[in-house]
Amino acid sequence: MRYISWVWFWYVLLGFLLGGGAVYLWVTLREKAVNLVWYEWTLIVLGALIYILMGQTFIASFGEGQSQAAWMSLIFMGIPIILIVVGSLRLIKSRLAKQS
Amino acid sequence: MSKSRKTHYHSTVSRRDFMKILGMGAFATAGGTLMNGPFKDLDEMMASPVADRKMPFWVKEVDEPTVKIDWDTMEVFPHLGNSLFNPNAWGGEAGVKEWMDIQQGNIDAVTESVRNNVPGQSLKDHALADAQCWGWGPTAVAPSWTGPDTEPNPMWEHPTMLWGPEHFGVPKYEGTPDENSRMVRVAGRILGAADMGFVKLDERTKKLLYGNIVFEDVEKGYDDPERHVSVLPNNKDLWVICAVIPQSLNEYGYRRSWANSNTAAYSRAAIYSNRIKTFLSGLGYQHYGGGTGSVGRAVGFGVMAGLAEYGRPGIMVSPQYGTNFRTVMLTVTDLPLAVTKPIDAGISNFCRTCQKCAEMCPSGAISTNKETQWADWADGEQPWQAKGLKGWYIDAKKCYGYMLGNEPDCNMCQTVCPFSKFDSAVMHDLVKMSISSTPVLNNTIRKLDDTFGYGKERGTDMWDVDPMDIPLWGLDTSRS
Repeated sequence: MRYISWVWFWYVLLGFLLGGGAVYLWVTLREKAVNLVWYEWTLIVLGALIYILMGQTFIASFGEGQSQAAWMSLIFMGIPIILIVVGSLRLIKSRLAKQS
Repeated sequence: MSKSRKTHYHSTVSRRDFMKILGMGAFATAGGTLMNGPFKDLDEMMASPVADRKMPFWVKEVDEPTVKIDWDTMEVFPHLGNSLFNPNAWGGEAGVKEWMDIQQGNIDAVTESVRNNVPGQSLKDHALADAQCWGWGPTAVAPSWTGPDTEPNPMWEHPTMLWGPEHFGVPKYEGTPDENSRMVRVAGRILGAADMGFVKLDERTKKLLYGNIVFEDVEKGYDDPERHVSVLPNNKDLWVICAVIPQSLNEYGYRRSWANSNTAAYSRAAIYSNRIKTFLSGLGYQHYGGGTGSVGRAVGFGVMAGLAEYGRPGIMVSPQYGTNFRTVMLTVTDLPLAVTKPIDAGISNFCRTCQKCAEMCPSGAISTNKETQWADWADGEQPWQAKGLKGWYIDAKKCYGYMLGNEPDCNMCQTVCPFSKFDSAVMHDLVKMSISSTPVLNNTIRKLDDTFGYGKERGTDMWDVDPMDIPLWGLDTSRS
């Protein structure tokens, strides 16, 4: 075992990014007075879960000495995350446009 | 010597650490406290969940193994003398010559590698593997059939060391089979068993014992070298303690160091065997078995004990270790134990689709048939294999000839198996859950395993790693 392992740093960074994203979402929704409906929350939670899984797989795969698996996890899980984010934004915008 | 790429040993951050760091793991923290918490004595340790056999929820206990066995026609394997390690098992004069050629090929190839300082097969790699042989090879410390033959010594610093109930004047330890199993599991973990299962010897499972083990109406078993038999008492209920002996996945992924990992595991198996038998003696119970080849078929007992399923390369595939564990060490005892049942985690079914070991096997020894089949060779034609199992039978001579012949050292079937993974990435567990519950995705999982780059050789020289990255004893404890 190493005297000092820096792997924890990447997990903390992963957590900060997740927490920062959550705070940003909360502040933005409050500022713009937007109330999300259940399926939009579902998509956001789903995206967050995939993000956690992607981050954990990315970091852990390097730890396992599997760099190819690490980069592939970014592709295979990063693309769905992008699709979910883009899809959610479009859903929210179209719903708000219909309401206004 | 050429410098290989920077290599990494397994991360020391486990999934539990990950959960803690993210602040999501109240349960994980509680579990971690429980795992690491101090125990006042063995009773307290036995009473804790640590002593339970924890199988993931996607591993089901089943009444019969996932491989078909015909117990009526099941052949008893005579003894290790019938294995391909014995030149006489190769069949006649031509067979002996074939064996001798392989031996000579091995000597020539290893010598050439050492003389040419081939990374991974240089003198220092060879020396390390030889060092790990101590305890297993020519210096075997495996106990005798009824051993280890140790006696207490009143002049020792601890004069009661190796005392049993008869010395203390107390009855032998008594517990229910469940209590005994938990106790043995706790002791086993401390003594070197990564996992344990228990099989009761009955008319079926006795067929998994080697043919040179006989039952007689005696109070205590014994070894009879003159008759070449080992004797078990016929008038007792007997159980087989089946212990998984782990090996380093990291070291196994390097070339020559597979031998280092392999031999180290056998040496640990011999040490474990001495210790678990001394433990049983201390409780007042009988125990039989010595080296790895003294009791019976490791795969058969391992499958019946639910430690693994039968896999394509003809060896066990465990939900936790894949094919990457050295052996299941067998110890026969009259201590009543709660039997563990075979398991179904979808592994044998996955082997039908996957075939990665067969495709990667450089000798072509592993079957590429999709379905298992009953042994169809004529009686006596392949004395190194026993009939009675519907499985994937390997071409053992091809395997032996390659592994020990001109291309020394092969570990492909144990490193490329999609189940042979470290346990840091949560994704591995999700994949195993899918294999267990959604076999329709098996083909996709196999393809993704390739796409993600699993099963590639890890490098040729493990000497480049930071020594502090190497787990103590070289064993990746995160997997065990």
